[in-house]
Amino acid sequence: MLVHIAARNLSRGWRRSLAVVGSIVIGLAGCMILVGWSRGFAFQMADNAVRSDLATIAIQARGYQANPDPARTLPAPPDEVLALADGRAGVWAAPRLRAEGLVQSARNSSRGAIVGVDPAREPGVSVIAEAIVAGSYLENGTPRGRQLPPVLLGTALAERLRVGLGDKVVLRVPGESGIGAYRVRGLYRTGSSAFDRIHAYVLLEDAMRLLDTPGRVTEIAFFVDRSQDSLALRDQLRAELDLDAFEVLHWSEREPRLAVMIDLMDQMGWILYGFIFVGMAFGIANAILMSVYERMREFGLLRSLGLGSRRLLEMVLLEAVLLTGVGTVLGLVIGWALVTWMGTVGMDLSMFSEGLRRWGIGTTIYPSLTLDDAITPLLLAVGTGLVAGLWPASKAVRLRPAEALRAT
Amino acid sequence: MTKRILETADVTKDYETRTVVTRALDHISFRVESGEFTALAGPSGSGKTTLLNLLGTLDTPTEGQVKIDGIDVSACSERERSELRLRRLGFIFQAYNLVPVLTAAENVEFVLMLQGVSSAERRTRARTVLGDLGLGDLVDTRPTEMSGGQQQRVAVARAIAAEPEIVLADEPTANLDSATAESLLDLMVRMNHERGVTFLFSTHDPRVMKRARRIVQLVDGRIAEDELRDP
Ligand SMILES: Nc1ncnc2c1ncn2[C@@H]1O[C@H](COP(=O)(O)OP(=O)(O)O)[C@@H](O)[C@H]1O
Ligand SMILES: [Mg+2]
Repeated sequence: MLVHIAARNLSRGWRRSLAVVGSIVIGLAGCMILVGWSRGFAFQMADNAVRSDLATIAIQARGYQANPDPARTLPAPPDEVLALADGRAGVWAAPRLRAEGLVQSARNSSRGAIVGVDPAREPGVSVIAEAIVAGSYLENGTPRGRQLPPVLLGTALAERLRVGLGDKVVLRVPGESGIGAYRVRGLYRTGSSAFDRIHAYVLLEDAMRLLDTPGRVTEIAFFVDRSQDSLALRDQLRAELDLDAFEVLHWSEREPRLAVMIDLMDQMGWILYGFIFVGMAFGIANAILMSVYERMREFGLLRSLGLGSRRLLEMVLLEAVLLTGVGTVLGLVIGWALVTWMGTVGMDLSMFSEGLRRWGIGTTIYPSLTLDDAITPLLLAVGTGLVAGLWPASKAVRLRPAEALRAT
Repeated sequence: MTKRILETADVTKDYETRTVVTRALDHISFRVESGEFTALAGPSGSGKTTLLNLLGTLDTPTEGQVKIDGIDVSACSERERSELRLRRLGFIFQAYNLVPVLTAAENVEFVLMLQGVSSAERRTRARTVLGDLGLGDLVDTRPTEMSGGQQQRVAVARAIAAEPEIVLADEPTANLDSATAESLLDLMVRMNHERGVTFLFSTHDPRVMKRARRIVQLVDGRIAEDELRDP
């Protein structure tokens, strides 16, 4: 019956209730959209990084992460480690040999990361093959003769070097034999311009020759179709390998800064929710306070009928919680629907694509939310309603019944 | 032997505002016994409301004691006072007696709910009482759709339904025209006769006063006269 009374009182003051519910809905839905976007951003950033070069998991020689010297190659033949992906559905593996060096053209030179890849396996772990915008991807077993070996450059790197398809570039790595001439076979463009400015891809065998590490690679990159399984896979791989010789690293361990940034975006969502609810609390408190002041006489009457002060407190709190609850549920439903819709359609941001490419995000964002993003605000809302109702409720209770009855 | 329901011993009530202290009641000693139908008479400002509030545990005296069924109210906690109001006292005020968002039946049921009566029983009891008092038509009506007289009658029904030992009514007829006032009085008299409900009501209307069997005259917070009559 108390619920009944609370609900009717709220509908009696429907204008005020509507205003409060409306502001909660707008605040919450807006908040969810923002959180959804930042989730989408973060996910996209991670996904792009993982798909372009980072890979979900990498197996390297112990110590390589701390000191990525190309001489620290895997202490085992690549095929042995690649075999770990066999029989695991949705898991792809590819060998890589990587070194820091210089990329030089006739006109310019640039610092770069030279990566030797196996074209038969690499497309399983990265999107470079799909990101070719001019020329073509690397191919195994191209007859050599007197031709120069092929290299793929990012568009940004090619621009910097002022080279195009078919032009000659020189790759240089530290060491005696570390120099070679290559011909630009293809240009790629990923979601990140910073990435495209650095990476030059060559065939694995050519990289081995350049670095003088025949039959050796610096990493085996793994890609996991279901990203939520990635940590479990890392742990399995760790269990299967001799950890004195190998290190098995998740992308968040290889790029801790990226992981921190994504975490930060997550936390920003919570801060946002916090602000919304603090604002909401004032709105709710104000609305309930007004209705309490208007109904002082009624409270006096209820007290005279024998309604205890505890129950009166409950009654007022109930109104606050009900009001907040309705607003929150509506806000969540609307916010969720909007985010889901945006996530399905994908938000095409090609208008700002250069800016986004700088962040390594690509041009389409798929806003997304987790269940937590909905449950936490719901709990928060009930809490906020309680806290916001407490002040007006205590006003209603503190007044002596005789005084309350005199109020008009 | 009649039972003493209400009793005040040397009760004084001062209202303190920022500038002045008003003595609303000045050493009142007075009692109401079971079955009485008593008017508290006196001009406006004589202390009628104040006395009824003290007797109803809605306020506390500055000095002296209020006893309900021999229980010293000043020794009671807020919770115990709520309980006294719920179980032993009924109230009727001048106006706005009903919870606005509840129908007549729900207003009656509300008190029964507080008393812990099961929902099935309170439904039938509320309807029976309203029917007995000739208010059957109003069962599902909200206060805003009732006349002043109807609201007051529903208030009587609610007070009666809770089966209190005494009903305290503060100028229950003040907002009614004389015909409606008469019929409300009729209803109260009937309840007093038929159900033995004790009534203590304040008024400054001579026509209402003359229906009482006892008239206590208040003047300036003191009892000026206390007479038993045969109406
Ligand atoms: N809450 C209050 N604060 C200050 N003075 C009050 C208050 N309530 C009543 N009074 C004063 O106490 C006196 C008695 O008032 P009241 O009991 O309302 O009289 P009645 O009901 O007979 O008209 C009046 O002088 C009134 O002004
Ligand atoms: Mg009065």
